Amino acid sequence: MTLDPIITGRTSGGRPLFTAIAALCLIIMYAPALYLLLASLNPGEQLGLVAPSHYSLTWYVALVDDRRLFAALEESAIVGLATAVLATPIGLSAALAYRAMTRTRSLFFLVILSAMFVPGTIEGLGLSVVLRLVRVSPSWFTVTIGHLLWALPFAVTVSLIGLSAVKTSTIAAARDLGAGPLRAFVDVTLPLMRGSLISSFIFAFLLSLNEHARAYYLVGRQNTLPLYMFGAMNSGASPTIYAFSGAILAVSFAAVGLVLFAVARRQSSYRLGSLRGDRGKALDQLSVGSFRGAGPISAAGNR
Amino acid sequence: MTPHGKAAGRPGRPAFLLALPSLVVFVGVGVIPLALIAMWSLWSFDPDTYWIKPVWTLASYVALLKNGRSIVFLQTASLAALTATVSTLLAVPAATVIGLLSPPRRATLLIALFTIPFFTSGLVRAFAWRLVLGREGIINNALISLGLASTPVEWLLFSDFAVVLGMVAAYLPFAIIPIVLVFTRIEHSVIRASQDLGAGFWRMFFSIVLPLIMPGIVAGFLFVFVVAIGTSMEVQLLGGAGASSISIMINDVMRVVNFPLAFSIATVVVVLLIALIVIANHTLRLSLMFEDLGT
Repeated sequence: MTLDPIITGRTSGGRPLFTAIAALCLIIMYAPALYLLLASLNPGEQLGLVAPSHYSLTWYVALVDDRRLFAALEESAIVGLATAVLATPIGLSAALAYRAMTRTRSLFFLVILSAMFVPGTIEGLGLSVVLRLVRVSPSWFTVTIGHLLWALPFAVTVSLIGLSAVKTSTIAAARDLGAGPLRAFVDVTLPLMRGSLISSFIFAFLLSLNEHARAYYLVGRQNTLPLYMFGAMNSGASPTIYAFSGAILAVSFAAVGLVLFAVARRQSSYRLGSLRGDRGKALDQLSVGSFRGAGPISAAGNR
Repeated sequence: MTPHGKAAGRPGRPAFLLALPSLVVFVGVGVIPLALIAMWSLWSFDPDTYWIKPVWTLASYVALLKNGRSIVFLQTASLAALTATVSTLLAVPAATVIGLLSPPRRATLLIALFTIPFFTSGLVRAFAWRLVLGREGIINNALISLGLASTPVEWLLFSDFAVVLGMVAAYLPFAIIPIVLVFTRIEHSVIRASQDLGAGFWRMFFSIVLPLIMPGIVAGFLFVFVVAIGTSMEVQLLGGAGASSISIMINDVMRVVNFPLAFSIATVVVVLLIALIVIANHTLRLSLMFEDLGT
């Protein structure tokens, strides 16, 4: 058991070089979004940064009058909630199936994962044609169906990582004590996975909220938020665009941040004995709830 | 303790029942529409109904080769390949920092940082590059005030450069995470042994680490390539005036309700993507990367 990185000694310039590249990656991933957030606080017509003392929510206040924006937001919220409500239990079920499988589990996971790689435009087009054929008229529901396939691989993955907190020995103990499969599931598995299920729900909601290509073919009369935003972005830049871009970014970051905050809190209460040198657990820790399983018992290996 | 918990005793059936909902979604929303699209791409356009009729023809596949459509395919593929290459070159060092050079807590933090943006709006993040790269963007302002340029650099925005940069920034997690996954399976003793035997960092990196993480590198490259092939918003928001992509072409074709042509483009893309994933899975045993999840 070690808390050190694997490589601690001299790296002949490797460490600074690699760290610099990792930093560069983070910069190109975050800097434009942060710049947009700050620029949206500039009350002037001219975009760009102003001193923090001049920050103003002028453009955010102007958003309140944008009725079409709120209609799109409402539609996206409905679709996002519906997607999350469906994707979370289906993802959990698939994760439990994965664990119950033996030789087929890798193939099963790859199949589910492959849904992530179907281009959104093609999936949206195909689904919209099929739905029209069976006379389902486009609405929030058709968008939800499209988003469900997109969110599913993520929901399954998050549930799987969370499931690692539920050791088979714990389930076996419950069963030995007389609990039926359902009782064991409700009283042992579900509580242990509560955090991951919340993460799964939030991630599915966010993926749906921000999905653009699939919704393009599947929406009914009411646009979803990304479709409305895309139109606004390409039709001359009013600074309110930056405000609602900033708002949607802030909401997304806040939601993911909340999930991670919950992780960190849980992590600290399980800190003792939960830290291991094993980098595999670093991945697990992305998911709320896995920390319960990261104790000394799992360090001994559960397989 | 049973090897597979609840499934013990009656293997197969509960697993199948539990897998059923996700398989129904996968088949119903994914497989069936794509299979129908593939079939309908071989039907003829029906000018009476603006739909298609079951007269089998290869006409749409012939049309696919006309009007510079094959060029759009090549353009999309080469931009995607460039994006995947750049992403991979950045991802290997970044994943190495996570997998080899960071203590567990920092590794966790870095994985989180690399994952978070994925769940924020891709549209807004692509759009944000306009502010950064535009004529009056932060980069041009900096170049001019530093005296490195006298007029704004035009090719920064509405160019292939902007598209590739936008896609790299958006899809880097797809390149990094598979490599990190592979790092978790490397026996640390192998690396320690090479150091005990006197290998310096670079020797160790190139002859021990790089071969071991190669499956993750190739998987990451493929993931980014596949996602970049299918996207359209980076090209639409950051590309030059005539820039197109396969997805944009599909939208354009659908605007004139040419269903068979749209279907044939979609079919070619999906078949290519499936072939890529199958070949990669066969040669790299991709699925083994996911074998121990949740156990």
